[in-house]
Amino acid sequence: MKLQLIGLSHKTAPLEVRECLAPPPEAVPGELHRLVALPGVREAVMVSTCNRVEVLAATEDQADQAELIGWLCSGRGQAPELIGEHLYRYQGADAVRHLFRVASSLDSMVVGEPQILGQIKEAYRTATDAGTTRTVLNRLLHKTFQVAKRVRSETNIGGAAVSISFAAVELAKKIFDSLEGLSALVVGAGEMAELAVEHLMAQGVSKVQVANRTLERAVELAQGWGGHAISLEDLGAVLGDVDIVIASTGSPQAVITAKMARKALKARRGRPLFFIDIAVPRDVESAVGELDGCYLYDIDDLTSVVEANRAGRAVEAGQAERIVAEEVVKFMTWLAGLDAVPTISALAAKAEEIRTAEVARTLKDLSELSPDEIAALDRLTQALVKKLVHDPIMFIKGASHGKSPDTLRQQLALVRRIFNLEENGGK
Amino acid sequence: MSTTLHWITLAAYVLGSLISLGFLVRQRQGLYRMGLALLWLGFGLHTLALAAAWVEGGVLPATSLRQSLDVFSWALMGAVLVVNLRLEVKILGALAGPICVLLMLAASVLPVVPSVKTAAFKSAWIIVHVISIMAGYGLLALTFLGGVLYLTQDRALRAKKMGPVFRRLPSLGRLDSLNQASLLAGFLLMTIGLISGAVYAQMALGSYWRWDPKEVWALITWLLYAALLHTRLVQGWRGRRGAWFSVAAFAVLVITFLGAGLLMPGYHSFSSMSGFGGLRP
Repeated sequence: MKLQLIGLSHKTAPLEVRECLAPPPEAVPGELHRLVALPGVREAVMVSTCNRVEVLAATEDQADQAELIGWLCSGRGQAPELIGEHLYRYQGADAVRHLFRVASSLDSMVVGEPQILGQIKEAYRTATDAGTTRTVLNRLLHKTFQVAKRVRSETNIGGAAVSISFAAVELAKKIFDSLEGLSALVVGAGEMAELAVEHLMAQGVSKVQVANRTLERAVELAQGWGGHAISLEDLGAVLGDVDIVIASTGSPQAVITAKMARKALKARRGRPLFFIDIAVPRDVESAVGELDGCYLYDIDDLTSVVEANRAGRAVEAGQAERIVAEEVVKFMTWLAGLDAVPTISALAAKAEEIRTAEVARTLKDLSELSPDEIAALDRLTQALVKKLVHDPIMFIKGASHGKSPDTLRQQLALVRRIFNLEENGGK
Repeated sequence: MSTTLHWITLAAYVLGSLISLGFLVRQRQGLYRMGLALLWLGFGLHTLALAAAWVEGGVLPATSLRQSLDVFSWALMGAVLVVNLRLEVKILGALAGPICVLLMLAASVLPVVPSVKTAAFKSAWIIVHVISIMAGYGLLALTFLGGVLYLTQDRALRAKKMGPVFRRLPSLGRLDSLNQASLLAGFLLMTIGLISGAVYAQMALGSYWRWDPKEVWALITWLLYAALLHTRLVQGWRGRRGAWFSVAAFAVLVITFLGAGLLMPGYHSFSSMSGFGGLRP
């Protein structure tokens, strides 16, 4: 059993590449089914957020990573070679470490932001609903949640960071000075957009309007913030009145065009307009950011906010890395222990096979035995075999406790060679 | 007396500027307060120095380039400190401080021209004229600095780097308030200065307007600032366009202030001022 992880994130790939790799949420279960249909792939989970696309798979030992990459790239209008340079590929302990780090928000744009854990939980739920997780990934993902929780409670990495929301507030303050009495417009709904709005409101933004494809959702959100809902068609008219726009729709085309922004600017008489575009693909035309009085930040631009914060969190992150390293070893030991199970059963099966064969041969020669005597012979051989294999089995089981995965692997290989179990081992 | 005060003022400005620059680099609030206090101290001394020069010379100390630069630096520092009371643009000390130091140093090396003690320079109208114009110039220079800061911060925001410039410069909103306040006050004072000058000219020279080069340039400057104010208040030119406009308008103001005083002949020029007796037909 091998763990494989391939993916790309804000650190390795520009927004343009992430945009085309991220599947729409409703397509994820189908993608997962397609993935586990590949030869050697047993379990799979796919994490797709605006900052990263990752695929985690538990595969047969000999499964080829190139197939996974081919799958990830297929049907997305991008050649694997083109995407390849942006991809990271991890196996075994490295894959586990990467997953733990991502979930603990050590790999996030804003280190310590809490949203990523929720996004991984969501991805796991999707995978379990699709039926593409079993023993290994179930265990791994649950462990991941525990690790993230442990990092959060034992370090101060969460501090003040709240990623997009944090960045949005910081930027808005440099544009408007005070956010007191400003009004915000949310286009599209999403967890990140909601968080951003709540932070802006905490800083004094007093009026919120919500535009959404489905009006019910817009009304629901708007009620929560004491604002009101508008339809997407009225977007252009509303732009003249609001100060901050947070866009996060799933629309494949831009919802806010340069033409709309230009018209809005006229009505605003020089008051600036701040766009926060957290949608992937982007919702606001990039030309908007060049207009006098318009400031546009997309998800990649927000990365820079982090740089300022990162220094202070380095210490906490170091501590978190230690927790992650410790948990990786624990998990890999468990995973290697999982490898011991087939060896044990193979050993037991082989012993039983020899015994039954030998008993059958002996009984052929001793034809005059009574059924009682045959049963006694059977018991005798069973006891013999059981006692003989008991110690090796205990040795294997003992090896999977408190030994490093590498040592365990070596010892298992040795046991297999001694008992000549090679062919049955992988099953 | 006024010379001694001049040098003490300069010392306070130099120290205040250095500490303000230190604040710019290190961003320690203590440095900001210390720098600001020193600049205030310097401004007080500066005011005393100018008052002493006025008493000693008998006329308003603005009859030569040397004195004009001195008064201009006083006006700029005053504008910065007073506007800062309300808007607190912390970076201004590090910016305006060195400018005032340079202006005062330039004033120090220029030749001393004996002031003219004619009755023409003692009229209340000319006192109002000179003080309003100089205070207006100081405020409009602040508008220029605000415009430059605005353009810099606008660029930093668009560069999306959030680097040291981004963090040190004030918000666009605050710079906008600074620009608007200094522009309004500066324009008002300049208007008062021009009107009082015209009234004085009528009394002293018999006509309100004589097409002296300085008068023409002042009119051009005034019209430009009127246009700047109009586009800002009516058309909403507050962003980059407004900032560029205020930079351009200030360039014309410098021509009016220095060019018309030094290069162009006329009764406003510094060279003719020493010989100006007024009341000529």
